[in-house]
Amino acid sequence: MRRGTLLAIVSVSVAALSPAPGRAQGSVPAASRGVTAADIRAGLADPTRWVTFSGDYTGQRHSPLTQITPRNVGSLVSQWTFQTGSYARGRGFETTPLAVDGVLYVTGSNNYAWAIDARTGRPFWEYRRNLPNNLTYGALAPVNRGFAILGDRLYMVTLDAHLLALDRRTGGVVWDVQLANYREGYAATLAPLIVDDQVIVGIGGGEYATRGFLDSYDAATGARRWRLYTVPGPGEPGSETWPNTKAAERGGGGTWMTGSYDPKLGLLYWGTGNPNPDIYSANRVGDNLYTASLLAVDAKTGTIRWHYQFTPHDTHDWDANHVPVLAEVTIGGKPRRVVMVANRNSFFYVLDRVTGELLIGKPFTSTTWARELDAKGRPIVLNADGSQGCLPDQWGGTNFNPPAYNPKLHLFFVSARETCARYLPQEPQYVPGEITPGGVTWIDRDKQYGALRALDARTGDLKWEFRFPQANLAGVMSTASGLVFSGDQEGNFIAFDAASGRQLWHYQTGASIWGAAPMTYMLDGRQQVLIASGAALISFALPAR
Amino acid sequence: MISDYGWRSRRLIRALAGARLLGLLLLTCAGPVRAQQVNPFEGDAAAVTAGAALFAGRCADCHGGDAKGSRGPDLTQRWAAGATDESTFATIRSGVPGSIMPPSAAPDHELWAIVAYLRSISVAPKLVSSGNPARGRELFVAQCLQCHRVGAEGGALGPDLTQIGLTRSREALVTALRDPGASVPAGFRGVELERRGERIEGVVKAEDAFSIQVLTTDGRLLGFDKSALTRITPRAGSLMPVYSPDKLNDSALEDLLAYLGTLRDPVGAK
Repeated sequence: MRRGTLLAIVSVSVAALSPAPGRAQGSVPAASRGVTAADIRAGLADPTRWVTFSGDYTGQRHSPLTQITPRNVGSLVSQWTFQTGSYARGRGFETTPLAVDGVLYVTGSNNYAWAIDARTGRPFWEYRRNLPNNLTYGALAPVNRGFAILGDRLYMVTLDAHLLALDRRTGGVVWDVQLANYREGYAATLAPLIVDDQVIVGIGGGEYATRGFLDSYDAATGARRWRLYTVPGPGEPGSETWPNTKAAERGGGGTWMTGSYDPKLGLLYWGTGNPNPDIYSANRVGDNLYTASLLAVDAKTGTIRWHYQFTPHDTHDWDANHVPVLAEVTIGGKPRRVVMVANRNSFFYVLDRVTGELLIGKPFTSTTWARELDAKGRPIVLNADGSQGCLPDQWGGTNFNPPAYNPKLHLFFVSARETCARYLPQEPQYVPGEITPGGVTWIDRDKQYGALRALDARTGDLKWEFRFPQANLAGVMSTASGLVFSGDQEGNFIAFDAASGRQLWHYQTGASIWGAAPMTYMLDGRQQVLIASGAALISFALPAR
Repeated sequence: MISDYGWRSRRLIRALAGARLLGLLLLTCAGPVRAQQVNPFEGDAAAVTAGAALFAGRCADCHGGDAKGSRGPDLTQRWAAGATDESTFATIRSGVPGSIMPPSAAPDHELWAIVAYLRSISVAPKLVSSGNPARGRELFVAQCLQCHRVGAEGGALGPDLTQIGLTRSREALVTALRDPGASVPAGFRGVELERRGERIEGVVKAEDAFSIQVLTTDGRLLGFDKSALTRITPRAGSLMPVYSPDKLNDSALEDLLAYLGTLRDPVGAK
């Protein structure tokens, strides 16, 4: 009922604000009908659109498009390159563009954003947030992973920990709310997730003495609907896993990667980050719930339905800020509604997403930390302190870079990192606004490499891999024609045969594919594939006939 | 044990702050108010230890535990590239606009301690040798110059040694001569390639999953599509010959070290 009213208001405002026919300079054409909550729920059903970070709520990043196939992908050519001019040194251009009716909505590094003509790569408008010069975590990772869209509004988070609603046609700010005080270490970098008339956003800053939370905001007004702290307050369930309130209140548990959603269950699936301090842990004895966990959250109320902690009492900065992948998988002869996560701690997990029951948990990279889970799903830790080296490094067996899943092949595709590091903890001093990693790591660079791996979701076993000279943080996309697109640290954008892992096509983009995952959509009858690299967005398609 | 290290470091920082306060005040009062040019902790072992702890807590996330770079640049090459204690202090204080390097509001003595630590791992102490640098230079020209450059002369297959006396300790240089395979830096690792029966030898300058870029032993820069190569064999160890005592006796080694120790000019300093 409430949604119906909102939609009516939105359509009235569209009519009121629509400019004259034709393309006004500096604004997006008025022909677009906007994006509804139902459109987002329908996901990739409209082939001309990509309306939410992962394409749809499942987090599979699996497109139904079939124009580009293993047979013809070899002739894929670049259509245009959009140079943003905004570079995040030491990081990547981590965005996933949204595609709506011939317009791409793109966020960039340092809180720039653009609406781009999908046919030419030319911008309609540019937005730049005037950022303070004393950013905290936002200065260390000046990145952004994308817009959310609903109606004629775009939603974007900022490095000074705000949530903005922009007018899709002009880039003008409609409303601006503060999520947290950036001076304390907070920053926001994720693509928000629209659920009905709510904007769901998470927060980063777990390298500082911060307390993570997941928020819901009214898409129309920016009023906060609910807040879920990922570290419980005094007396709340989970608080017994912290030695005292002080440790819990600065205990980290960021929520800085976009989650997934099951509309039938009404549950959000959201990963939480490392406890703080990252490495030093003598002042936070206990499991430190709900850090390094997956939370199943009631989208209406913001309450936890179930949780699964991947890394109890983490001391390696192994955030669980991944895109959880929802699918229907037959395991042991029984069809299950599952949620899958390839975690930074090197384990691949398959859980029943209704109950949180662990179905599969197996390493997908080499690790000296733990090789198996016990009957309760808890890791049997072999080497906890990391001082001897050769666990996965602090960037993990994989990272936030989105994986992909092909439901027909039951294959989960993930950029795996084979690494070796030593962890040396050090008790931090608590100075407001100063980083508190609580130690240092020594990475043995000669011992690392990367691989795109295909895991069988029914068993967790490796089906195939393609190796790279260096470990990388490239995201992955799958298509129904049997292709997998990913990239590497050396800058190649690559297409693989999904069933065999055979490399079919590659293009040197000139900068690492770092954190970004590809997206695809139909434009004038031609399938486009986009990737962000360095400070550039590049669009590919088969040659026009 | 390790947490004890952290505790001791903090106590050191506090002690340093107190002990040096008078000196700092005197320096500040002595002339016009401006950024201090001389590190008050230069060569101070306690400050280096304290600086190492501060570096580990605040800088290592980006610059790596060994300061050799991760997301941020390698800091151990700063002085060789012409940076000074003062310019390093200024960079930490102001950050690097347009990059992820933030400014710091930490007190001066903490920043100077970090500078002292970075300098201690970046600048080798003046090399002591009983050898004759002129004879060492003759040896160098005869044995090393073909592959190593010093200033305007020399080869390209091995690392540039123009400032090697500034950046490498005596021990590191002895190891590099007696056992060059112990550590071969990226960019100088040997490889043997085969293309249609032709053998190509060189060092790998860059490589990805599909291509490889090499400097050949005869000085050509060549790039190859890996699919066009029939064989890619990384060479174990270093391309540099092992200078064992029968090839380079201890007296000749001292001469060579004496010469290498004179190569201490930062880039652009002359």
